Amino acid sequence: MAVPLIEVESLTKRFGATVAVNQVSFSVAAGEIFGFLGPNGAGKTTTIKMLTGLARPTSGRARLSGFDVVRQPLQAKRTFGYVPDEPQVYGKLTAIEFLNFVGDVFEMKPERKARRIDELLRRFGLDADAGNLLGGYSHGMKQKVMLCAALLHDPKIYFLDEPTVGLDPRSAKLLKGILRDIADAGGAIMMSTHIMEIAQALCDRIAILDRGRIVALGTVQELQALQGRQSLEDIFLALTGTTGERDLTSIM
Amino acid sequence: MLWLTGAMLVQRWLASRRDWSTRTFYLVALGAGGFLFCFILFGTFVGARTLYDDHADKLLASIPAWAFLIYLFTDIFIAFGQALGDLYLASDMQQLLAMPLRTSSIVVAKFVGGVVQNEVYVVAFLVPFVVGFLAGTRAPWWSYPLCLIGVIVFPAMLYAALSCVTILTLRYVPSRHAKEFLWLLGAIVPTTFWVLSFSGIAKASGDLSTLRLPDAPQWLPSTWVGSLVVSSSLGAAAASAMWLALLLFVTLVACPTGLAFISLAFEEGWTDAVTVERRSVSERVHAMRQERPWLALLRKDLFVLLRTPQLWFSHITSLGFVGYLLVGHRAGTSLLPLTEQLAMVQMGFVAVLAGLNPGMTAISLEHGAAWMLKAMPFRPIDILRAKLAGTLGQTVFVVAFGAAALAYGYGLHLFNTTMLLLFALLMAACSVCCGLVFDTTFPAFQWDNPNAINRGVRMIIPFLSGVVVLMFCAALLGSMRVLVHGERAVVIGVALSALTVAWVAHRTLQRALRNIALLEI
Repeated sequence: MAVPLIEVESLTKRFGATVAVNQVSFSVAAGEIFGFLGPNGAGKTTTIKMLTGLARPTSGRARLSGFDVVRQPLQAKRTFGYVPDEPQVYGKLTAIEFLNFVGDVFEMKPERKARRIDELLRRFGLDADAGNLLGGYSHGMKQKVMLCAALLHDPKIYFLDEPTVGLDPRSAKLLKGILRDIADAGGAIMMSTHIMEIAQALCDRIAILDRGRIVALGTVQELQALQGRQSLEDIFLALTGTTGERDLTSIM
Repeated sequence: MLWLTGAMLVQRWLASRRDWSTRTFYLVALGAGGFLFCFILFGTFVGARTLYDDHADKLLASIPAWAFLIYLFTDIFIAFGQALGDLYLASDMQQLLAMPLRTSSIVVAKFVGGVVQNEVYVVAFLVPFVVGFLAGTRAPWWSYPLCLIGVIVFPAMLYAALSCVTILTLRYVPSRHAKEFLWLLGAIVPTTFWVLSFSGIAKASGDLSTLRLPDAPQWLPSTWVGSLVVSSSLGAAAASAMWLALLLFVTLVACPTGLAFISLAFEEGWTDAVTVERRSVSERVHAMRQERPWLALLRKDLFVLLRTPQLWFSHITSLGFVGYLLVGHRAGTSLLPLTEQLAMVQMGFVAVLAGLNPGMTAISLEHGAAWMLKAMPFRPIDILRAKLAGTLGQTVFVVAFGAAALAYGYGLHLFNTTMLLLFALLMAACSVCCGLVFDTTFPAFQWDNPNAINRGVRMIIPFLSGVVVLMFCAALLGSMRVLVHGERAVVIGVALSALTVAWVAHRTLQRALRNIALLEI
């Protein structure tokens, strides 16, 4: 059994009377790509926000590489790279300046930092635009810069919230290859996506979240066996379908 | 058109309400706004009544035009940014233009929203001034509605004209340079005009009945509003009606013409105007140095400051205020003698203004990228240290320059110059700390341009906090002047002020640190 790098126990987040995430528990082992699926508003982003330190859990606990995200936030944050659902960057910095900033925050040695920035910018085809302000970048280019920032310090854990949105097919394929390489090298990846084909093709295990609760968890084969359906899309719809969606289908 | 205008006004109102996480603080901010209103109303009333009873008719007749001129110049700074934010940089503009709506309807709705936003300042600053002035000069009852109508249409005219300048600039100047161009225009034109207007004035002397301010230019709308208020206060109904008619006529002609021009500009092509020119790669990866995390954050903030001219606005305004003081004291009277303590308080006020904007936007400027502060391995103290160093650094630079200019202009010797500088730096630190604690309590990460962060009632609480500390320190300086005399009075006054500011800084920074640790994105 591989070592779990991400451990989540009964994680809960309330906003007033609303329970956004309700008693969620799972773990992601080294070498694993973990898909986090769910309809809009299911609590995927809130869960990732709690794991990355953007939001405080109301209750429950989470450990990254053994570090508690609430009690040892600094150590926990050094172990992961994060790509949020919207590529929000500093528009007044160039790509080089931004990555240099990220490298300094993670206290990378200058030689290693320079080598990694150079390597990643070339790999994602950003080297020609690296001296331009990020404010002028397209959505997809910003997304690539965010991926470079997440990969820069070579962390063991990755949180990717809709990482392929806005990427051109070449970059999406490149990203999938990089994620597989990272997992094969012993990294743990937790990604949320709405694209079922990507989840089915890439993820070793999948959790489906609905209204703050995990309603299914397992490998694609386990979910297929459990639900008696072949495609992940059908399984997803069966587990998360609502009256509203059925009404929509009848209208269409 | 009416529906869209109404819907956007409601949206704007809801957005301003929802900027506040608690209803209590929203009510406190409104209460503070109410206090400011009453303060201006009462202050103007007392001042106008004193001058009226002393028969200072010429001075009274020249004050409103200059008061409105100050408002006009301040509004030029604000309106360029607002026109850019409302019409050109607004995040919803592309969405609205893609909807089945007439361009003219969108422009009118945006324009009305912008004018209503400006009317908040009119209600907070101009209305109490006008009412206080009219009451102080025992004006007839009909003058009140007449003057209020004039004051209310004033920003519409101004906003229409400045929106046209903005759109015209964007047609000919590339968008990435247009912002800088407009901000510099907004800074240089009023400052130059102001300094040139006053530079030739000899020091005024004589009694109050002969004293008057120089004539404000007749072609400026601010002078028309001033003339309306003065003629109304004198009971000259025909002259008042004429000035109001002129204001209404120009507004009714300027606004539709301006809006038609802006609609045409948008219909001709939005897409071309938003393209950003490419830059060649000039930086190399290998020339990088390693910095500690908080220094990396500070360096990032410095780049943002240097590349965002909107952020220079408050500094230019502060230095402009030093210019006002320098030319103003030459037309001063013996009513309030210029002592070293008064000069220190004046510079202290400039420092409060200078520190206000950097402090209260320190965290909010992170905008959508604020998540990095929390998801990256920063300690809360790293964030606070970087933000404090950045905001204090830029404020100290401006305040030191302003204090040196003021001391030179007032002819202060070395000791008083040093004390003036020290006191100003203390007030700047206090203002920055008050701003920081406010911004960490109520961060506003959603904005279209950096100057939109401080719109409305948001700026009132940190501003009043800084002013309250300044008034307390001014009282300390004044008391020491009475009790001790001479240079020792100044030294003790500054030392006591330093203790006060140290206490305020300690309390506010502790709170700010806790807020940063608890911040959720």
